[in-house]
Amino acid sequence: MTAQTIRTVGLRAGSIVALLVLWWLAARLMHDPEALPGPIVIGNTIAEDLVKPGPQGESAFLHIGITLARIFIAFAASMLLGTGIGLAMGLSRIVERALLVVIPLLLTIPTILMVFLAVMWFGYSEAGGLIAVMAVVTPYVAVNIFEGTRAMDKSLIEMGVTFKARRPLLIRKVYLPQLMPYIFSAFRYAFGVTWKIVALAETFGLKYGIGYMFFFWFGQFNMDQVLAWIIMFVALMLILEHGVFARLESRAFAWRHSLAR
Amino acid sequence: MAHVMLRKTARTDTASAPTAVIIDKLSKKFTVPGGGITFTVIESVSLTVGEGQFVSIVGPSGCGKSTLLNIIAGIESYDGGSVTVAPRAGTASHEPRVAYVFQSPRLLNWLTVQGNIEFVLEAQGVPREQWQPRVTKYLQMVGLGGQEKNYPLNLSGGMQQRVAIARALAIEPDILLMDEPFSHLDAITARKLRFDLMEILGRAKPTILFVTHDLAEAVFLSDHIYMMNTRPARIFKEVEVDIPRPRKPEDSVILDLEKSLVREFFSVLEGKT
Repeated sequence: MTAQTIRTVGLRAGSIVALLVLWWLAARLMHDPEALPGPIVIGNTIAEDLVKPGPQGESAFLHIGITLARIFIAFAASMLLGTGIGLAMGLSRIVERALLVVIPLLLTIPTILMVFLAVMWFGYSEAGGLIAVMAVVTPYVAVNIFEGTRAMDKSLIEMGVTFKARRPLLIRKVYLPQLMPYIFSAFRYAFGVTWKIVALAETFGLKYGIGYMFFFWFGQFNMDQVLAWIIMFVALMLILEHGVFARLESRAFAWRHSLAR
Repeated sequence: MAHVMLRKTARTDTASAPTAVIIDKLSKKFTVPGGGITFTVIESVSLTVGEGQFVSIVGPSGCGKSTLLNIIAGIESYDGGSVTVAPRAGTASHEPRVAYVFQSPRLLNWLTVQGNIEFVLEAQGVPREQWQPRVTKYLQMVGLGGQEKNYPLNLSGGMQQRVAIARALAIEPDILLMDEPFSHLDAITARKLRFDLMEILGRAKPTILFVTHDLAEAVFLSDHIYMMNTRPARIFKEVEVDIPRPRKPEDSVILDLEKSLVREFFSVLEGKT
């Protein structure tokens, strides 16, 4: 680790600790454990949830695993589809013209309405959640990638064409590397929206998952558990975002870091 | 210096050498989008490049020289005449292989130097087992042996252009098109690269069609020069450069020829406007 990474890690840890201290102080001052339990109580609740079976007998890890699987599938599907559509728009005038009308329409529909629509069409099913995510995220990803194709360096494409590179080779070696910054910015947004919609869908009616547990405890009006599940969820997403994506991103841009300057 | 390794004779032997490129009465028109106004960019240009020859086209900037190269490379259309690129003698008949060195290196910065060369080898369908030997051979030829794993942005502008030259040579082209490849470099680097290009010619013996606005450069490098004027591009003079190699840019024969061509060139250009 370099001095710089130690400093960033220290800063992040420091700000989390500061937040916990603030929370603890607020809980002390309010002195109303029904409304705002302190961090220590919630910490214990989380630990208990993780080791003991839940109220219906399932382990917390089952719910976490199911939520993760739902997020991953919906996310991967909308990223792939969105990147494909964006690329097609960038490469073909016809696709561009056809979709530039439709996509802004889809983007205008508020996310929560999309979830309701999906539920009305597909019921409280896995497909409903998946489609809600895809309907919201895919157009956004497509628009981003399309913007990226416009910013591509035409002279490099011309170079490739001059040397008779075919489409698949051009896509792999010339288009996609130039689109990487756009893909990653879409990636972050897509991930953020995906887990919010999945949590929403789980809250509204899917069986199992973190959102489901959240809603279960909400029904019991158990503030300790509600907070515990929220925190588990947030922690999980932060780990994914910083642990997994940041690493993927730095690998994708390895060629930049290798520069001597 | 390196150029002493060159052959002592001029490379030209037009009588017997097979032709690599024949351009016959080529013309190209350009229509302003939407306006319906059409003007002629290239008018009835004919030229030939013999196999193994170094042929230059000299003309003012923006006269349509790059357009001409793009037409030969097959990435731009034309309206009249014909363009023929023949495979090198002795090779099996195949789609003519055209390589291009642009004004700027146009390297893929996210690939290593080796990756950049392999990109065109893959594009041209060169069998994979030939990639490594070719990368090594041509990087060494341009003086960049050992830089395989480096990234382009770590290299100077001159070195990047060397990679671009190695990339073009690596496909072992039937015709190598060069579009003012040294014009973006500082004078000292450009001079060094010209000498090195001369040395490379002695080893790889490619057929080159070289476009420049720099008459001194053309005289120093070429076997044959076509002089072009502008609006529309038209060839107004052809010169055989019968000066034995190795040459020095300061040799009096070269300077004399350059001087007389410059005089002629500007009298034609200024007579036009």
